[in-house]
Amino acid sequence: MKLLTANRLNDGRVIYLGEADTAVEAIDAARILDADAAEAALVLAQSRPAVFVNPYLIEVEGRAPSGRDRLKESIRSVGPSVGHSLAFVARNETA
Amino acid sequence: MQLLEQTQDGVRLTVSTPEADIRAAAVANDSLILEFETFRDGRGFSLAAILRGQGYQGRLIAAGKVLPDQVRHLRRCGFDAVELAPGADAAPWRRMDQAFSAAYQPASGHDRQVWRQRHAAPTQNAAVALAARLNAQWGEADAEDLLRAVLDPTLGRKAAVISSFGAEAAVLLHLISRVRPDLPVVFLETGQHFFQTLAYRRDLADRLGLTDVRDIAPDAAALSKADPRSDLWRSAPDACCAVRKVQPLAQALAGFDTRITGRKRYQNRQRADLMPFEAIGGVLTVNPLAKWSVQRIEAWLRDHQLPRHPLVEQGYPSIGCWPCTRAVEPDEDARDGRWAGQEKTECGIHARVLIPAC
Amino acid sequence: MYRYDEFDAALVRERIAEFSDQVDRRSKGELTEDQFKPLRLMNGVYLQLHAYMARIAVPYGVMNSRQMRQLAHVARTYDKGYGHFTTRTNIQFNWPALQDLPAILSDLAEVEMHAIQTSGNCIRNVTTDVFAGVAADEIEDPRPWCEIIRQWSTIHPEFSFLPRKFKIAIVGAPKDRAAIRTHDVGLQIVRGEDGQTAFRVFVGGGQGRLPHIAQEIASAVPGQSLLAYLTAILRAYNLLGRRDNIHKARIKILVAALGIDAFREEVERQYAILRQEDLRIPDEELARIQAYFTPPPFEALPIISPAYDAARRLNPEFARFTRSNLREHKQAGYGAIIVSLKPIDGVPGDVTADQMEVVADLAARFSFDEVRASYEQNLVLPHVRLEDAHAVWSRLREAGLATANADLATDIIACPGLDYCSLANARSIPVAQALSRQLADADLQEKLGPVRINISGCINACGHHHVGHIGVLGVDRKGEEYYQITVGGSPDEQAALGEIVGRSLPANEVAPAIARALDRYLEVRTDGELFIDTVRRLGADPFHTAIYEPIDAVA
Repeated sequence: MKLLTANRLNDGRVIYLGEADTAVEAIDAARILDADAAEAALVLAQSRPAVFVNPYLIEVEGRAPSGRDRLKESIRSVGPSVGHSLAFVARNETA
Repeated sequence: MQLLEQTQDGVRLTVSTPEADIRAAAVANDSLILEFETFRDGRGFSLAAILRGQGYQGRLIAAGKVLPDQVRHLRRCGFDAVELAPGADAAPWRRMDQAFSAAYQPASGHDRQVWRQRHAAPTQNAAVALAARLNAQWGEADAEDLLRAVLDPTLGRKAAVISSFGAEAAVLLHLISRVRPDLPVVFLETGQHFFQTLAYRRDLADRLGLTDVRDIAPDAAALSKADPRSDLWRSAPDACCAVRKVQPLAQALAGFDTRITGRKRYQNRQRADLMPFEAIGGVLTVNPLAKWSVQRIEAWLRDHQLPRHPLVEQGYPSIGCWPCTRAVEPDEDARDGRWAGQEKTECGIHARVLIPAC
Repeated sequence: MYRYDEFDAALVRERIAEFSDQVDRRSKGELTEDQFKPLRLMNGVYLQLHAYMARIAVPYGVMNSRQMRQLAHVARTYDKGYGHFTTRTNIQFNWPALQDLPAILSDLAEVEMHAIQTSGNCIRNVTTDVFAGVAADEIEDPRPWCEIIRQWSTIHPEFSFLPRKFKIAIVGAPKDRAAIRTHDVGLQIVRGEDGQTAFRVFVGGGQGRLPHIAQEIASAVPGQSLLAYLTAILRAYNLLGRRDNIHKARIKILVAALGIDAFREEVERQYAILRQEDLRIPDEELARIQAYFTPPPFEALPIISPAYDAARRLNPEFARFTRSNLREHKQAGYGAIIVSLKPIDGVPGDVTADQMEVVADLAARFSFDEVRASYEQNLVLPHVRLEDAHAVWSRLREAGLATANADLATDIIACPGLDYCSLANARSIPVAQALSRQLADADLQEKLGPVRINISGCINACGHHHVGHIGVLGVDRKGEEYYQITVGGSPDEQAALGEIVGRSLPANEVAPAIARALDRYLEVRTDGELFIDTVRRLGADPFHTAIYEPIDAVA
């Protein structure tokens, strides 16, 4: 199965195509697509360049990225595995 | 930058064309269209810059896949115009053309060049102020007094005379010989003078005792590239003046902050408001005979028994290079025999300082 | 350091307006992403894995305290409270919003900073020796020439759409502390026959998939002709560089394809036909710029500082710091302090907003208001009185910036890798952290002496692994992260590319493998021999054995 992902134009954040053709940030909220739906989703995203920058399809098993790019797509879905942005997130969560 | 909405006729080459072929096309055509197959292909900029650097005076048009954001780059590399895609909005092109007030690099066009601006600004302003002051103080004075004033060592000017050794040149040169006979006199040996001019030049310099007359020839390499068959005057007289007069003069006068010319108001319409002192590109330009009438010139020549250019009595009141000079009719202005039948009225040596290419 | 006049300031402001216009047109669909991308790249804006990344130029690595504080402000206000210094001495912010960029750039313009041409197929930031104006072996301070090239290359109408990026580095001494031979053009200041400034010019260096060491194209280009000569090189490259394949588009490929002699002929042909007089650097302009780089008002101090010596005697930790991180200054009584951005288990090159404030304060109080970014991704306080060194160190230590590892094994150079970068095959930061923990022991590091370890997350080699004494390259084996190790690379005047030691290893085996290689070095080195010299003497074999024998035996 597939998901459609892209970066959002205004802030560059990772987005997925969610329900009702909205853009969602959480991979868990992404719409799971079969082959036909996936092609349609890609066309839809490409027609909305004001939101979706460089949209493409990824392979998933359940909601976990699979296939060759699974590591990269996992990192995209949760953020960097190390570094100061983690500290930032932690600080903001406890604040 | 000119924006063209119609597809242009003319020789069209893609920017992937080898440099040598582009240069050959430029030699054979006074207009070229360079087509960009993708806006990322920057070769077109270098090709234009090379052509302009070589003195190409023809029209360069950019076409194909170019973005409005590239308009300044195109202009500054020497393109005259852009052929817009059908239906393209010209507004972003115009906006982007004005996006910057100055640029760091020397290039074609009239953008303020920052390094020049930083260091030239005081000089340019100083020349303008000086010209204004001298006009106020000496504008009505006798030509000889005016010359003495500007050549006064306390002013510290480094001056040279430009003379065509033409029909009326003897007046100015005579005045110079009375004030500073060792002042450099620059004569542009264009390679296309009447032989009578060359003979006259030697004769007059001897008679007046001028000791530093400099014959300035065009750069041989530039000339062989621009005008190998000596017929450029036919197709592109501006380009011919450029390589035979304007560029050599610029070289010869580098380092002089003051130029003295024999220009006069009565010579043609364009010179009707000429002042004795002007600032052109930071250089003080002195025209001691600006307000003289033709009668006064004639009287001076007669009273001081100065030799005349032999072609004058053949009906040439103004004498330049032979291809572009003819005799005038009685009802014409003195300079109407110069580039007759063309819009050109000036060779360009007294215009703005030559602007270099990328 | 250079200060903007009204022309520089106007240009930066006008650039921000131009970019805002472009962002607006992109948002409205008047520009496609394909058209917008090169335009935003020329303003330093990448689109990475998680967000936009803004790469702010730090021209030739030099900053003052006001600029450092403004970077901290940007990090706090628009980003996640930190920034990252790169091998090209720029600083990157990983989380700015596109819509915030005009405001970010405007804030930076107030302190004479910008992001012009830090990316894109144009001439990039000119880098130099972080010890310019400090090192005693310097023939001439290269920084005025960096500034001249910076201005000349900024929004150059002819060279904004090159086949690929173009990187220039300059050094002012025979010792190459800026890796000039790994650049598209490397410049070394020499004395011409007339005793005037001249440049030895190298061309065609580069890393990436097909690394090359640059070759000498000219031995002494007079300073006044430098811009004309660079124009000729750029022009030849612009016209002849490949545009059909981005992996074959750098000038190094062109030079290799034509051969250096044929390339030189082409450059000289272009040089002969261009209008050199237009590109002659006006004497007044050179003098004006050089005036910004005169030495600061040093005090006349004795070579020995009793306070400094006493502090070292009393505090072994401070003494250790001075052995690695305090460098000799040509001015008696002064030293240059390397601020380490490589804490054990940290992210190499990262610095928080709070840390930036600390460094800004120290620069203002103790270093004539100057701080620099280095090729090694550290910072340098270039002009510290020895008697102040202890105070500076204490403050750095409180802020976590005093790791005593400059040029030692844990002074690791690493790219951001797959945690941030959409081009990466593998993560590099966790590998750097593991390696740093493995080699953390300070005594061990001193015993090992200078060892340059570089980690790249992919073949684009932004971590410069090809020229590491030990290089680590992340590769993708069927979706798993594996790492290739090289030895024997060198970025300096003895430039060399490292040799692969053997098959790639999984992430958790990299640090132990390198530790084994370093242990082997300790066994086989001669007295006082540096790691790189041992590799040059013995080749890669002993290190191959040290790394693979134990794991092959187990397998």
